[in-house]
Amino acid sequence: MNARLPPVAGEWIDRTKKLTFDFESGHYEGFAGDTVTSALLAAGVRVLGRSFKYHRARGVLSMANHDVNAMFQDGARPNLRGDVELLRDRMVLTAVNTFGGITRDRARVLDKLSAFLPVGFYYKAFHTPKAWFPFWERVFRRATGLGKLDLSTSRIRTPKRYDFCDVLVVGAGPSGMCASLSAADAGASVVLVDENARIGGSLTYQRGGSDHAGAQLRDLETRVNAHPNIIVRTGMLAAGWYTDNWVALVDSDRMTKMRARAVVVATGVYEQPAVFRNNDLPGVMLASAAQRLMYRYAVMPMSSAVVLCGNHDGYAAVLDLLANGIRVEAVVDLRRGEGGTDEEAKVKKAGIRIHHGHCIYEARADGPAVGAAVVCPLLPGGEADVSRSEIVACNGILMSVGYAPAAALMYQAGVEMRFDSQVGQFVPESPAEGLFAAGRVNGVYALEDRQRDGSSAGIAAAKYLGLPAPVAPAVTRTVASPNHPYPIFDHPRAKNFVDFDEDLQLKDLANAAQEGFDNIELLKRYTTIGMGPSQGKHSNMNAIRILAKLLKTTPGEVGTTTSRPFYHPVPMSHLAGRGFTPYRQTPLHSRHERAGAVFMHAGVWLRPEFYMARGKTKLESVRDEAAAVRTGVGIIDVGTLGKMEISGPDAAAFLERIYTGRFANMKVGMTRYALMLDESGVIIDDGVVARLGDQRFYFTTTTTGSANVYREMTRLNTVWSMRVGIVNSTGAYAAVNLAGPRSRLLLAGLTDLDFSSEAFPYLGVREANVAGVPARFLRVGFVGEYGYEIHMPADCACAIWDALMEAGRVHGIRPFGVEAQRLLRLEKGHVIIGQDTDGLTTPREAAVEWAVKMDKTFFIGQRSLKIVQRKSPKTRLVGFTLDSATEGTIPRECHLVIRNGELAGRITSVAWSPALEKHIGLAFVSPEIVAGGGGFFIRVDGGKMVPARIANTPFYDPAGERQKSAI
Amino acid sequence: MTSVTRTSPLHDRVAALNPRWCVVRGMRMAASLGRDETTARECVAVADLSCLDKAGIKGPEAASWLESLGMPVPQQANTWIETPGGGVIARLGRTEFFIEDAQSGDAASRLRNVLGAGTSGVYPVIRQDAGIVLVGRHVNELLVQTCNVDFQDLGSESRTVVMTMMVGVAVLIIRQDQQSIPGFRIWCDSTYAPYLWDTLTGIAAELGGGPIGTGALLSEAGKLE
Repeated sequence: MNARLPPVAGEWIDRTKKLTFDFESGHYEGFAGDTVTSALLAAGVRVLGRSFKYHRARGVLSMANHDVNAMFQDGARPNLRGDVELLRDRMVLTAVNTFGGITRDRARVLDKLSAFLPVGFYYKAFHTPKAWFPFWERVFRRATGLGKLDLSTSRIRTPKRYDFCDVLVVGAGPSGMCASLSAADAGASVVLVDENARIGGSLTYQRGGSDHAGAQLRDLETRVNAHPNIIVRTGMLAAGWYTDNWVALVDSDRMTKMRARAVVVATGVYEQPAVFRNNDLPGVMLASAAQRLMYRYAVMPMSSAVVLCGNHDGYAAVLDLLANGIRVEAVVDLRRGEGGTDEEAKVKKAGIRIHHGHCIYEARADGPAVGAAVVCPLLPGGEADVSRSEIVACNGILMSVGYAPAAALMYQAGVEMRFDSQVGQFVPESPAEGLFAAGRVNGVYALEDRQRDGSSAGIAAAKYLGLPAPVAPAVTRTVASPNHPYPIFDHPRAKNFVDFDEDLQLKDLANAAQEGFDNIELLKRYTTIGMGPSQGKHSNMNAIRILAKLLKTTPGEVGTTTSRPFYHPVPMSHLAGRGFTPYRQTPLHSRHERAGAVFMHAGVWLRPEFYMARGKTKLESVRDEAAAVRTGVGIIDVGTLGKMEISGPDAAAFLERIYTGRFANMKVGMTRYALMLDESGVIIDDGVVARLGDQRFYFTTTTTGSANVYREMTRLNTVWSMRVGIVNSTGAYAAVNLAGPRSRLLLAGLTDLDFSSEAFPYLGVREANVAGVPARFLRVGFVGEYGYEIHMPADCACAIWDALMEAGRVHGIRPFGVEAQRLLRLEKGHVIIGQDTDGLTTPREAAVEWAVKMDKTFFIGQRSLKIVQRKSPKTRLVGFTLDSATEGTIPRECHLVIRNGELAGRITSVAWSPALEKHIGLAFVSPEIVAGGGGFFIRVDGGKMVPARIANTPFYDPAGERQKSAI
Repeated sequence: MTSVTRTSPLHDRVAALNPRWCVVRGMRMAASLGRDETTARECVAVADLSCLDKAGIKGPEAASWLESLGMPVPQQANTWIETPGGGVIARLGRTEFFIEDAQSGDAASRLRNVLGAGTSGVYPVIRQDAGIVLVGRHVNELLVQTCNVDFQDLGSESRTVVMTMMVGVAVLIIRQDQQSIPGFRIWCDSTYAPYLWDTLTGIAAELGGGPIGTGALLSEAGKLE
């Protein structure tokens, strides 16, 4: 059957461009500008998909981007919405969610079994026996879901972009266009967005059989397109609102993050279905869907119709049907009296039967689609009087019973909404900052009122921005309520659907409420109403009405569910965008690459984990690096450490408040270990403080802690108002640690600094030139050997590295990475903050009480430590060794310490020590283990218990002699 | 300035583009790249300008100290003015300044030398920022894909300093057109520079532009190697 109408004024299709496509086993033709759905309907196809749960045949519902039962698979593209997806030539489409095709879908048997599949059945079944879980999981995974994902699809590039405007107007209907014109006339830069392919909104399809709306559209469209201050973007959905009028705009290619100074929400309304038995049959659709089909795509939605009305818009739809040659068998008006509108008079004059005070009780099928409407008078209580039913043959039923506001953006913006019983709709009660509503979403329905309301909102937005604007026109609501209070009819055989996404029937909601899920949020979660792809756009309002009736209250009392961005499905590729993941490289990165470094991530930094030696394994390479440090000289890039400077009369006092140690008494030219706690006494960072002058300190932080430490110090300095200046030089300085007994010999040739232990003692700091570049030398020994940290300007780091490597060649210098450093420091028993501590570790637990000077007047965390110290410790970090004969699975970090079958701690660090020729490590253990002689077990992978024993640290060079003497 | 050749944080990125090298302010830079740069520059081009000498001053007395040395001082935070030598002095807040010399200026080194380790209420800030230039008629398209600031508001005569995040990196940005073509200067922590460069040049390439040599931005491209 060819359902294409003769050319219709304003149609969106281009009849000069024919397109061909396949759907399931059929081959069809359409026109450019057709959507998949309109082309199929034009070709006489009425069954477009299968429902989610019961696999019932479904067709068009809204033609408004919400037809989730008419979704298609196009190659690798799943879940295309046929009602808005533009037809392309040679498309090959299939329906989603079928087992064996749309006609012979084997899963349609579920419709017969629906009595056994009530809402929430999966909460009450399948929980025992547990052994069947995997089976049921497979069954449900196969049965659920819609389109099929092609995991081999190559990445789609969808870069996001920002955009800016004075006024963003969302919705290009009559009110949105008028708002745009008013704001633009006042001088604002306006961006007008609409999800449809063309602007005009309801003017493009709600015509009431006349050209009045078309004339209005042409006038507004011309003025909007000609206005220099207005940018129009069609095919763009405002999918979410965020703070400060940051609106996510989604089109086919990307997401645009629009930062608008003011927003006008003219998003209109979603037409709502009535609830009666078989209201989901193909051919039963919203009146606006039929109007869109006729006027946008020149498609005849049916040849004979019954129109269910709950408002006067239904009569306008009847006139549109008549204007396009469609026979109207009857109008079924839920309202008892005559409306008295021009449209109703015209319908009556056309000889159409009007049944006032009647409902459609049931739709009956003829094949897979609708074949008749069962019409019943309404009893005083609103129920159908089935004893006086009448069957009216038709092949289409239109529903025009009311609307729900497309108010998601306003909910997200924090606008308070109230239920206006006169309009029968939730409307804005109190505005949000810089956000204005206009048109039907604002509860204003008559066309002229909507235009005035739009102008008023545009003027208000302009005034909000401080622009000169005229006095806004007065707006009145000059139409009776367009929303029927309860277009919902029970039926003993059910299949009266409230939610078409999830196949939820009226009885499902009643049962849920009876089970105690009688709050709208609970009802939503238990029944999943509004949780399908259309996000409740056609079901939430009716659910509120149903719950209100069940609870004997009002929709306003029931309230709405929370609206979160995005309120419309957005492709995952759009959300992913380009993907920005910042990383940092030290200035010596190229040198590491040349030396064969294998890099690892340390926070945002890339660091050499180790340098792969030719012909060696990773483990051998790491041990060779460690051996070079112990016997000769090694060099490691420590430029990732946080590097700060603090100057000023209060610098020492500031550090004493920040760190647990004492710094006021430090001599110039010396360094000291520094431990930082948070207010609760937990260790959060550590480093080395060097005194460069009376009022000048240079200090390091951990690699991952620098940004937080600097931010917190800056904050505290603001609070304390001390006379200091704090500078974060982390990126400005490069740093290396030259370590090993030959380090002094190596450096002596590159600088004129006196490196003797008398002139430059252990823990000293000096400033001097190296290879002609000013640098700072810190004589510290994290790895337990004689060594120097050299801190230098980043732009000269490569030159200094090259000079050190050249000078070190005769000494066998070798770069070493993080792995070797971890091993070397473990041999010294040095703690790494974040690895050997966690978010609860206090200094006493980490065995670093020696770094805490409790007798100071104040430091951050001191008060908490005083409280903590009055309590018995629950754990303590200790060194341990494994018996040399330990074989098999060796403990790893995070393996558990077990004592008497109970959990008694965990491993934080463990490694084979070449120097000690056994496994060593650090572990948190319970005080009982410490008191009980130090023996414990470690449970390794597979459950085996490995014996371990507490050992004193440092494991290596316990007297610290090697850090103080060099070749 | 040291005797060693300084290394740009973007050296390796530029080296991969087959450049003709030169030395500018003691730093090895790409005078030009082995490709046609005209098209990129007309569309949207990215160039490394890390070679220019920089200094930082911080402290409650920083403004008056600069004035005492005869330096022009921006009176408002987040603004910049041109130094007599054609460089930039930017006020980053009430008490912090960023100074960058032009190709031939010496204000930065002079300030560093005079200030030394600091004086009462004035502290030196070592500035090793990477300097990147964006230029081209479609530069705004690159900016809107990378930064949540409306740079259309910054006219060619704007003296605003924008301190913001660009693709997750803290940056300073000013508008500085290049021969009447819209242009922006960007400074960031040098350790983030390779990431920022990769991101900006990648997007620029999608827009029909790409990296260009530093020589295209300087009056004479330093000393050619």
